[in-house]
Amino acid sequence: MQSNQNILEVDRVWKKFCRNLRRAMWYGLLDVGNQLKFSRPSLPPRDLLRAGEFFAVKDATFSMQPGECIGLIGPNGAGKSTLLKMITGLIRPDSGQIRIRGRVGALIELGTGFNLQLSGRENIFINGTVLGLSKREIDRALEGIIEFAELGSVIDDPIKTYSSGMRMRLGFSVAAHLRPQLLILDEVLAVGDVRFRMKCFQHFNDLVQQGTSIVLVTHAVSMLPRVATRVIVCESGRIAYDGEVQKGLTIYEQGLVEQASQIGNRADQHWTNARIVDAKILDDAGQVRNEFQTGETIVLRLELECEQTVPNARVIAAVGSPGAETIASMSTPYQNFRFDLSGGKTFVELKLDNVPLLLGAYFFDVSLYGQQLTDFCHRRSGIGGFRIIGPAIDVNGNGISGLIKFHHKWHQVEPDEAVKKKRGRVTAPWFVLKLLLCDRRRLTAATTASAARSTGSAARSSACSTTSAGTGATA
Amino acid sequence: MNGPEAEIIYDPKPDLAAPRKLLKGIFQDLFFSGRELAWRLFVRNLRGMYRQTLLGMFWIFLPPIANTAIWVFLRSRNVFDFSLGDSAEALRVDTTLYILTGMILWQSFVDGLQMPLNSVSSNRGMIGRLNFPREALILEGLYDLFFNLFIRLLLLVPAFAFLGGSLHFGLLLAVPLIFLMVIFAVGLGLILMPFGTLYHDIPRFISIALPFWMIITPIIYYLPNQSPASLLNWFNPASPLLVASRDSLLFGGTEHVAATLVFGVLAIPVFFLGLVVFRVAIPAIVERMVVT
Repeated sequence: MQSNQNILEVDRVWKKFCRNLRRAMWYGLLDVGNQLKFSRPSLPPRDLLRAGEFFAVKDATFSMQPGECIGLIGPNGAGKSTLLKMITGLIRPDSGQIRIRGRVGALIELGTGFNLQLSGRENIFINGTVLGLSKREIDRALEGIIEFAELGSVIDDPIKTYSSGMRMRLGFSVAAHLRPQLLILDEVLAVGDVRFRMKCFQHFNDLVQQGTSIVLVTHAVSMLPRVATRVIVCESGRIAYDGEVQKGLTIYEQGLVEQASQIGNRADQHWTNARIVDAKILDDAGQVRNEFQTGETIVLRLELECEQTVPNARVIAAVGSPGAETIASMSTPYQNFRFDLSGGKTFVELKLDNVPLLLGAYFFDVSLYGQQLTDFCHRRSGIGGFRIIGPAIDVNGNGISGLIKFHHKWHQVEPDEAVKKKRGRVTAPWFVLKLLLCDRRRLTAATTASAARSTGSAARSSACSTTSAGTGATA
Repeated sequence: MNGPEAEIIYDPKPDLAAPRKLLKGIFQDLFFSGRELAWRLFVRNLRGMYRQTLLGMFWIFLPPIANTAIWVFLRSRNVFDFSLGDSAEALRVDTTLYILTGMILWQSFVDGLQMPLNSVSSNRGMIGRLNFPREALILEGLYDLFFNLFIRLLLLVPAFAFLGGSLHFGLLLAVPLIFLMVIFAVGLGLILMPFGTLYHDIPRFISIALPFWMIITPIIYYLPNQSPASLLNWFNPASPLLVASRDSLLFGGTEHVAATLVFGVLAIPVFFLGLVVFRVAIPAIVERMVVT
């Protein structure tokens, strides 16, 4: 914490808020009064809350070195934005200290200070000045800003004629040309189209390479591995994790899974005839586990019970993730697996071999039905949470990434082979054309031969469908 | 953005615990860091404000002209008793010119009083999201106030010519007096700002109280320098500097020397006290913007 190299040091910071509007106003006046005292008042102990107050940030401590890019993530209400507002000096900590060494640029919202009546060019000057750039700096950066925003042809038109995407591009472009030592960005990665977003990422990477430190708050966590060198996960005002990006993302997703599970538990109270009591995640050896590697076997064991017999019950289990919702859904009828629920407990297992899921947190949504889908019994959401913790993924194009690992193989095709294949494809229509152009005798002979071929092909196709039906039945 | 190589510390200690640092920060932000931003915001507002109007800058003149017309009309119908005590004869200029001058100054006083609150309210988004020198908003408001005042005072040129106003050296005294009046009004507005931003009752109350306040301010009548009438000048903060400025413009001097001196001397400390209140109140207000 005491290193002189740190550009940012957040030391045991606490911040309280009040949700009750009237009280918040009154406390506001009291706080202004406290600030107007000449002597240092005895600060209220950090655990002393006034009526209606709660801690939005609790004992946050971390530091940051030049060239680091921290992704600050967490569910809504976790205290991320409050922490960011304290770092930018918009609000003060109630306890603790924030120390910043260097020039700070903050982008809490794009386009702050835009006047819709004025042109894009005029607004660049205003927006740049609001963000702390001098006139000389803006003059120097003007062409770069216009070029980055891709608004060359409309830059002298009033902003009110711009689309929202154009306004965002302009706002980001002005901010992108700041040269701060610490750049603070709050939910600004959702700007523009994918191409512009990639351009922004590239710009961030360039800044980090040049030694700029970035604190990035976002809910679009899938983008973080592209830029972040470290992740801080906030949960209920506390720093729950501070460290490696992939692990941080998994912990964040795990938190979301648990949150969804709690919400699901509240919503899934009602059931008819039978219910899903519990869901456990096991490994291949039948041991309870919730951390796996991609490619391992995962078993979902469901504990079911009923009030009255449910013959031919069916279950639908869907694997989901906080980022992608449902990834895959599997039902018992698909494999002609039926079971009866009668008295006592019934255990049903779903075994997933060679699980292709990549790093992240996942869960199951399970529904229990009677014989028909109209015979609904019970549904449990966000149960059986598990995490895939390895192998590492790479979003910079040097490995695999995404949600799923496909069995795949790259290989090169010789040009001759590719051309040969291409010729093979054009042969058939060329042959038909030739047939149309040739004499009747040859045409008749060819038609007879073609008919014989198609009969054979139909026979083969018929055999195939029988097999597939058989396969389906077998499955 | 903060300056290069700066070390910034944010903690809960009150600003007034280090008053020198606080005052240095206010001066720095008001006259250096915030100057360029204030100018740009002023130009932005000026360009944007009248762009979608037919009458354009005429809207600056309209309120004092309309108010003057109303009161001149009411007086001509004897709806309002123009005299206070037995000093109606003391008025040595045309009543329209007298009321118009008072109205222009009153309008500037009111604008000054309301400026900090309006400025914070209209720049809420920016204040809540960016850490820029907040004093720039006050400087921008002052640019705006003095620009409008200057334009309005231009009205007096034809008014003096047609309504028989006389020019004298004492008229020059009006310049510092008007300046002090505006600064005093802004200072009061700055002190009111935290209350008015947190409790919207304050701006509502001000807008209701203004017409009554105007009536107890000697704008449409002459204020004799005799007790008890002159007490009005002591207990009404809008009155002393306004009356002194108006008297200097029209008569080249004022009878209310004591009140003018006291309030003139008070104006600058009140303004700086207002700046201190504004600076220390902003973080607490931004915090409540999060809640609201």
